[in-house]
Amino acid sequence: MDERTRAYLRGRFRDYYRRSDVSLPPDAEAREWGYIPWTAGPGTTMARHNALLDLGDFADFLTRERPQHVYFSVGRYDDPGADSMAEKGWRGSDLVFDLDADHLPSVALGEDSYATMLRKCKDALGRLLSFLEDDFGFCDLETVFSGGRGYHVHVRDPGVRGLDRAGRREIVDYVRGTGLQFEALVSGEAVAGTAGRKSPARKRTFDTTGGWSARAHRHLLDFVDDLLVMEEGEALERLRSFEGIGEGRSEAILRGARENYAELEAGNVDIHPAVFGLARRLAGEVVEIDGAPIDEPVTTDTNRLIRLPESLHGGSGLAVRRIARDELDGFDPLVDAIPETFRGQEIAIDVTDPGLVELGGDSFIIEAGKQVVLEYLGVFLMARGRAEKERER
Amino acid sequence: MATGLRPLHARYPYFERSREAVREADVSLVAAARDEAVAERALARVETVLTEGTVGEPERGTRTELLSYPIARVLVSLVDQPVLVHRYARAEAEAARERFVADLGRRELKSAPGNRLTLEGLLEEFDLDGAVRGTGRAETSEADTERGDGYEMGVSSYLSLAADRRGEEWRLVNRRLAKGWVALSREDVLALLGEAVRQRVASGLPLSVPAEIEAPLEEAVATIEERLAETNLIRDIDTVVPELFPPCMKYLLDQVQKGEHLEHHSRFAITAFLSNIGMETDDIVELYMVNPGFGEEITRYQTDHIRGVSSPTEYSTPACATMQSYGDCVNMDDRCERISHPMGYYEDALEDADDADLTDWRARESEAEAKTEAEAGE
Repeated sequence: MDERTRAYLRGRFRDYYRRSDVSLPPDAEAREWGYIPWTAGPGTTMARHNALLDLGDFADFLTRERPQHVYFSVGRYDDPGADSMAEKGWRGSDLVFDLDADHLPSVALGEDSYATMLRKCKDALGRLLSFLEDDFGFCDLETVFSGGRGYHVHVRDPGVRGLDRAGRREIVDYVRGTGLQFEALVSGEAVAGTAGRKSPARKRTFDTTGGWSARAHRHLLDFVDDLLVMEEGEALERLRSFEGIGEGRSEAILRGARENYAELEAGNVDIHPAVFGLARRLAGEVVEIDGAPIDEPVTTDTNRLIRLPESLHGGSGLAVRRIARDELDGFDPLVDAIPETFRGQEIAIDVTDPGLVELGGDSFIIEAGKQVVLEYLGVFLMARGRAEKERER
Repeated sequence: MATGLRPLHARYPYFERSREAVREADVSLVAAARDEAVAERALARVETVLTEGTVGEPERGTRTELLSYPIARVLVSLVDQPVLVHRYARAEAEAARERFVADLGRRELKSAPGNRLTLEGLLEEFDLDGAVRGTGRAETSEADTERGDGYEMGVSSYLSLAADRRGEEWRLVNRRLAKGWVALSREDVLALLGEAVRQRVASGLPLSVPAEIEAPLEEAVATIEERLAETNLIRDIDTVVPELFPPCMKYLLDQVQKGEHLEHHSRFAITAFLSNIGMETDDIVELYMVNPGFGEEITRYQTDHIRGVSSPTEYSTPACATMQSYGDCVNMDDRCERISHPMGYYEDALEDADDADLTDWRARESEAEAKTEAEAGE
């Protein structure tokens, strides 16, 4: 990035911060603050271990320093400005989650476009929120587009603050489905009467009300529903595609599904041993389908610094956008995170790394060389290192 | 016997009302430390932890038994070894759990009047009365016990009590969790109350002990120190014993030392692991240096970054699931089946190896150095 580009971006970041009212997180004065200034040369240095007091009036700080990136700590401390973690005096930490497109198994790096990656990331966000709201019952959630390649969720329920690394790791494993065992999904209940068998009949059931068990159950039902609308032969073939399910078992499963659908729907998987076997096989897939592949180190680190919502991401020129829960469905990061300040004008840039850019609800095939583009597009390309600022004529 | 001291206090000396009773009885710690019977039982409490893993048989006298607890804590503090604190708290917790089971009776759940132990009272004692609730299925069949039914605990409380417990059944992912409540059986609740005892016993240890209390206990402290030396327990997670590393880390370290090229994620994994078990950058560089062709500069840079010296965070070792997805999970053994994290494997292995004769790699190095220097001096 050359000097003119840097100066331009700094200037425009200042304009953004002048016009925006960046609100502070709760207990802001008990948190550590860090930022990365715009500097020449490779290597970025973060200024950290700042207390809010060290920065002076915050709005004033943002317009004066107009940093490339701004972070605050998930932790709250007695003395957030102290230089070492030991001296800070930890009081507790928000529980944060980071979904990063780079870490999603469903993302094909190098193939998926930025927009596709973000779409897949938003799907994963929906799954993550289902865990946090339905399973954990958390109430104080803040969902944020990171301004880069993913989403952050900040949980601030009082109960999570004191959790240590081990407790947070358990939460990570839960939402990722790490270590999930089939036996834990079904619960067995001895049925009264022997039902003609020597040992008491067992009725193993999924819990249909919530948790991983309900997810595994839904996955099984979806599979069965698909079977039931297929032609007989097709359905049997589908079942036989599983290892260990032959002709006899596939017929038993299909018959069981037809005759005892209501039982199955209620969670009972012991309607036939073959159905139980199928449930076990399908449960193995549910982690891939329903798990939320969050970035573990972010969540387990109680001293993590994380981007400040409504600040600007220096690597994209997009805003770190807070998303209201009821607006999540319609949220499009490549439209809604474009700062208003950067709309409505055009600027001259020199593109060094041409190609497709999806932004502002449109796609642009950008060619190399000097040209005039919409400002937000130019800012995006410059921040990503794909263009330099050109002199305006 | 002082009037306020009741058998229940002696049986559960860490309860708030037991501490209260001791305060009211107006016995000073100095007096208790000088009381031979009390000091003897206090010593037994700690010594039996090292020999048998229990706190030993209770003394019949209520006063002696009750006062032996604060003095036992003083003894543990004077010896001042993390492993002793850990072991002692665990033994007190296990004794507590057994007593809970015995004292609460089998299916007796309703609150009893007077001074008896009740589940409600226990939950209140540990501020869990709002965090645990019955599901209305508490008094039904054995099958419910198997289902993990009967009670529910708020997930935050559950995590603060269960996260350090070993065993797959305590992993949150294998529990029923809905709307913030974790399903538990009665046995689970009692086990977690045991954990609450462990945390309470360990909290504040080691205490700073005034000299006048220390003086009469010198002999007892010496006895415990001797026992401790015999049992070779003084080791913790900060110990570097490559033989006990999980297979994945052994393999990666081996590759580094052979000078094989490692992919970024593999190098990250081994370096994060070594740094998480307490190794400094210099140590890690030294361990890698067995291979003459390794790049010291880059290792130093990466290690500092991972350790959080030159970056905003200290990174943690990837979990087994991550190791697997990167193909770094190799040579799984039995222990791997029981854990989900390389750190868990190592903690577990260290714990199991307590009685074996293992030396910290760094100590070995300095021993070897000392030897070399001695030889050079000849």
